[in-house]
Amino acid sequence: MLDVRHLTKVYPDGTVALKDVSFQVPDGEFLVIIGLSGSGKSTLLRCINRLIDPTEGEIVWDGVDLAQLKGEELRMARRHIGMVFQQFNLVKRSKVVTNVLAGRLGYTPSWRSLVGRFAAEDLELARQAMSRLGITPQAQKRADELSGGQQQRVGIARALMQAPKIILADEPVASLDPVLAHSILSHLERLNQEDQISILCSLHYLDLVQRYATSVIGLREGRLVYRGTRDDIRRMTDGQFKEIYGEEAERAGGLVGELAPASGGAQ
Amino acid sequence: MNRTSPRQPSPAPARPVVAVLAPLASIILPGIGQALAGAWRRGLLLLVSLATILGLLAWRVRIVGRREEDITGMVRKAFDLQPILLVVAIGAALIYLWIILDAYLAARRLRGANSVGLWALILAVYFALGWQIGDINLVTLATQSRDAAPFMERILWPWEAAVHHEEVLLVGRAEIRIPCSGTPPAPIEPAEGQPSLVAEPSCGELSAQEGAPGTTLTITGRGFAPNTETEIWWMDELRNEFRQRQAGEYVKVTTDAQGSFQLDIIIPYRLIPPAEASAYSTWQLMARQVAAVGPAEPSETLLLAIEKMIETIFLGMMATLFGIILSIPVSFLAARNLMSGSKLTLVVYYLTRTILNIIRSIEPLIWAVIAIIVVGLGPFAGIVALTVHSIAALGKLYSEAIESIDPGPIEAIQATGANWLQTIVFGVVPQVVPPFVSFTIYRWDINVRMSTVIGLVGGGGIGFLLIQWIHLLDYRAAGIAVWFISITVAILDFVSSEIRRRFV
Repeated sequence: MLDVRHLTKVYPDGTVALKDVSFQVPDGEFLVIIGLSGSGKSTLLRCINRLIDPTEGEIVWDGVDLAQLKGEELRMARRHIGMVFQQFNLVKRSKVVTNVLAGRLGYTPSWRSLVGRFAAEDLELARQAMSRLGITPQAQKRADELSGGQQQRVGIARALMQAPKIILADEPVASLDPVLAHSILSHLERLNQEDQISILCSLHYLDLVQRYATSVIGLREGRLVYRGTRDDIRRMTDGQFKEIYGEEAERAGGLVGELAPASGGAQ
Repeated sequence: MNRTSPRQPSPAPARPVVAVLAPLASIILPGIGQALAGAWRRGLLLLVSLATILGLLAWRVRIVGRREEDITGMVRKAFDLQPILLVVAIGAALIYLWIILDAYLAARRLRGANSVGLWALILAVYFALGWQIGDINLVTLATQSRDAAPFMERILWPWEAAVHHEEVLLVGRAEIRIPCSGTPPAPIEPAEGQPSLVAEPSCGELSAQEGAPGTTLTITGRGFAPNTETEIWWMDELRNEFRQRQAGEYVKVTTDAQGSFQLDIIIPYRLIPPAEASAYSTWQLMARQVAAVGPAEPSETLLLAIEKMIETIFLGMMATLFGIILSIPVSFLAARNLMSGSKLTLVVYYLTRTILNIIRSIEPLIWAVIAIIVVGLGPFAGIVALTVHSIAALGKLYSEAIESIDPGPIEAIQATGANWLQTIVFGVVPQVVPPFVSFTIYRWDINVRMSTVIGLVGGGGIGFLLIQWIHLLDYRAAGIAVWFISITVAILDFVSSEIRRRFV
């Protein structure tokens, strides 16, 4: 259970990115965060794993306030929080397998990682993660030789290496076309269902939200303006969606229901 | 739709007074009229332009027309010697008139003000001045390049100096009796391996001082080295040796393919001190040549050039190595993204940047001169000079590479729970290594190239040799040095671009 209470973030230049945001994420939830660009989605996700330090508020996870952690404790907490990025954030010149193994750094002593020697179990974990995400043939390629969809799967594999209890996904499909978007999201959905990893994912398209979310929160100008369950979302029309979301909202494409989660490997 | 035409901001229409006053003002002081009409910036620029042109013109007229008493004489002499100064003067006058016209047009808000033509004319006059100041003389270039051809030839194809043969002196001798009396001397039987020389006749009269020529001898040489220049020498009765001259020139003959020659010479004039004079004397006539024998072997020059070229390459390498070692820590201090944390680090950043810029703006040649003062002549001075410059250049390039890394992967690595060191090793290093390698190889290339120049001032390497050979007028040897430098630089260029292409 992740419990975010009264979270506020004010940037040094005075921008209020989050204002008194509170919500809960029960374990095993696929929570989708919707909102315009600049509404605070990225800031919210980065506050949870403390890539950004919140100004005020608490982020209580398994009884620990993440907002108060420092140094080694923070590092230990981060190990269980995977993150997937819009721009994939792979080290482009490194090999795919190296990028995947980087997810294990939190569990690896410094001297081992300095010489690049990971434990045999870690190598086995990497093999499994890559095979699960269908990128085994690309293991020895440089990350920037891969297509966008493949790169994002490497990003998910890296997060999976952390043996996370929660994955933060910051617009994971915004740089991808609709077919790939379904592929990536169904990978996340499988991790959610098979491994009971909670997913916090920011998304743009209503049909994707309806297809994957188990609950939804909406942000506008840093404030929480919408909270809904799976059923609430299923019933939601484009009009209501635009109301919380703004005029830019649109559908990714008429793929809802046509693409079963099992065919997620398509790209 | 609104049609907006580009128009200068001219808030108020010109008052009629200004329209009359503006050109008048520009007659007195060019540009003031434009200022009155509102375009004060243009007026100032025009004034400065014209003033500069006139100032430069006066300076050049004074230099060309010096030693003339009055100004008129000076100007006349200058225009006579350098007609381009007259062109500049006419140009300046035209600009003056045009500025007045421009002031009128500007004041009346008429088209044609601020014409491109005026600025083009000003620019053209500047270039004409530049031609004169630069002392450009195409005639010299055309006529004197022909005289320089023999030297250029030696520099362009110096390889004769690159091989060396063992040399022997071949001398053919014949005895000449002066004057003729009794039996003339018989040809001398040459020693083993030496050529023979036969004179016909083998006696005769010396040339007289007043011009009556002496006896003409037909001399025939055999057994010399083929196609080789041969000198004719005499040894008089006092055993003094001197070279045969005819019509003021030393006599030289080139042997044919069989090593033979035939030549007519006149017995020269020679003043014999009366105390030594005798009725008859026997002189010796010699044909000498220096012939190359034995196989070709590399010459001293070639070996020296190779040695120094190797020294040069290593000089560049060592300077690059020291440059890398010292510039990497510096580059982190000069990377803005790493140093913008606090006020103190930002001060360090600006300080480092400034020092690097100052060091970099001083040429390696000047650093070499300074280094020589400290460590003395030789390659070490060159290494010091190039190292100093490399630190500055690489420090800047490295720091820019650090500044341009993508923060995304670093964020991602941090998010996995990696510590600071792991983040650097996995997130930063893979991103900066390729540009670092690329810049380093590029710098090595530059350093080797620069080390040839560093030698000119005494910083070791082939440049030192090259400048010495040029001063000794040994253009063949200099040519060899130039060839080596060009070949090395070309190879290096290729290798470095090849490595960079593959690595990055």
